[in-house]
Amino acid sequence: MKRLSRGLRTLADCAPIANAKAPDRRMRTAVSRAKRTEDFAAQQSFDRAVAKLVQATPVSTEIQEWFANERMAEGAKRSWKKTALHPAILAIGIALVVIAVVAWITFDEQMHAFPGTATAKKLLNVAAMTRPSEFEPMETEAGTLNDLFFMKYRLEHYDVPPEFSQQRTIGVRVFDDDEAGQVAQISLAEKRMQLFLFPARRDSKSGKPEEFEGWRYIEQEGWTGAVQARKGVLFMAAVRGPKKDLAPYLTTKPQLR
Amino acid sequence: MTGEASKAQDIFQDTLREAAFLVANREPPADRYWFFREARWRCLDVVAQGVQPEHATNESTELSPKAPEQIEQLEPEQLAIWISAAPEPQRSALALYYLDEFNYREMMSMLGLKLTDLSRAIASGRREFQAWLNTTVPAAASE
Repeated sequence: MKRLSRGLRTLADCAPIANAKAPDRRMRTAVSRAKRTEDFAAQQSFDRAVAKLVQATPVSTEIQEWFANERMAEGAKRSWKKTALHPAILAIGIALVVIAVVAWITFDEQMHAFPGTATAKKLLNVAAMTRPSEFEPMETEAGTLNDLFFMKYRLEHYDVPPEFSQQRTIGVRVFDDDEAGQVAQISLAEKRMQLFLFPARRDSKSGKPEEFEGWRYIEQEGWTGAVQARKGVLFMAAVRGPKKDLAPYLTTKPQLR
Repeated sequence: MTGEASKAQDIFQDTLREAAFLVANREPPADRYWFFREARWRCLDVVAQGVQPEHATNESTELSPKAPEQIEQLEPEQLAIWISAAPEPQRSALALYYLDEFNYREMMSMLGLKLTDLSRAIASGRREFQAWLNTTVPAAASE
């Protein structure tokens, strides 16, 4: 032991008795060096004998009883109800539910989005804000307006679909929108419904209009729109109310959102 | 450490009660060594109020190769009495060390000792115990 440095000797004096792994590198080094000395072997024999005697010390039944129920220091187990109502758990639960709902809404929107969704929603706002006086009075069947749009405004394929072609109109207007382009807006007598025709969004690479199959519903601030794409033009029927107000007009079943 | 089972039991229960109180105040003990530290201080308080052993300088000698055989001839109670008569912090250091449950860092934490103090307490305890052994079990020592 005398050959060990003072620091290592200090550590070796506290070396683990059993062959337990030393807690750190310094102790491992000290033990490793100390093993080369005779003193350390004597120390370990001595310590092992004392530890063996300590282990053999009888424990009175009185003291054994203290530890008979080892759960005494664990504290009472919390019930699942109490755990669930803990403010931290509650807050995490609410946060997870909100995240899940937002994620589901976003996912659902992505799943049911179609080319032109943003424009269609914008036009629903337009429908809500347009006053009757802004329309040019026009009493006819909606299906006949394609000629007017083509002849007067050079708008090709601005055709009202058969589902709404028999509806009586009370006014028409055509306006330019920054995003939508040239928009034809028709006011109907029935249910104060409005019809919109506007160019379909075009693919940035191919330049072709992005279309989709069937009818798609959108909703915005109490208004509902049913949108269909045909020949590069989107048609939207808008009504103030829920989907069920529009559903009877659509012969082909729309894709539900 | 207290020399009386009833006192030890009181200290044990007081320590658990203190731990429960801390938990109720949302300040639970930082680690399991807290229990040992707390119980030890309570023991020292109790011992300080009782009869004090005479302070005498214990003889010490180098460890004998025959020490394991000498120790084998002892009763566990003899060892317990010898350790309990040792001065603090040597008594606590030897008790924890020979329990063989803790490494030196844990013992330093529980006893609030520096490494050199812990090492000195254990090393001198060994030599003093050897000297006591030589007196108590001379036949084995002289073989």
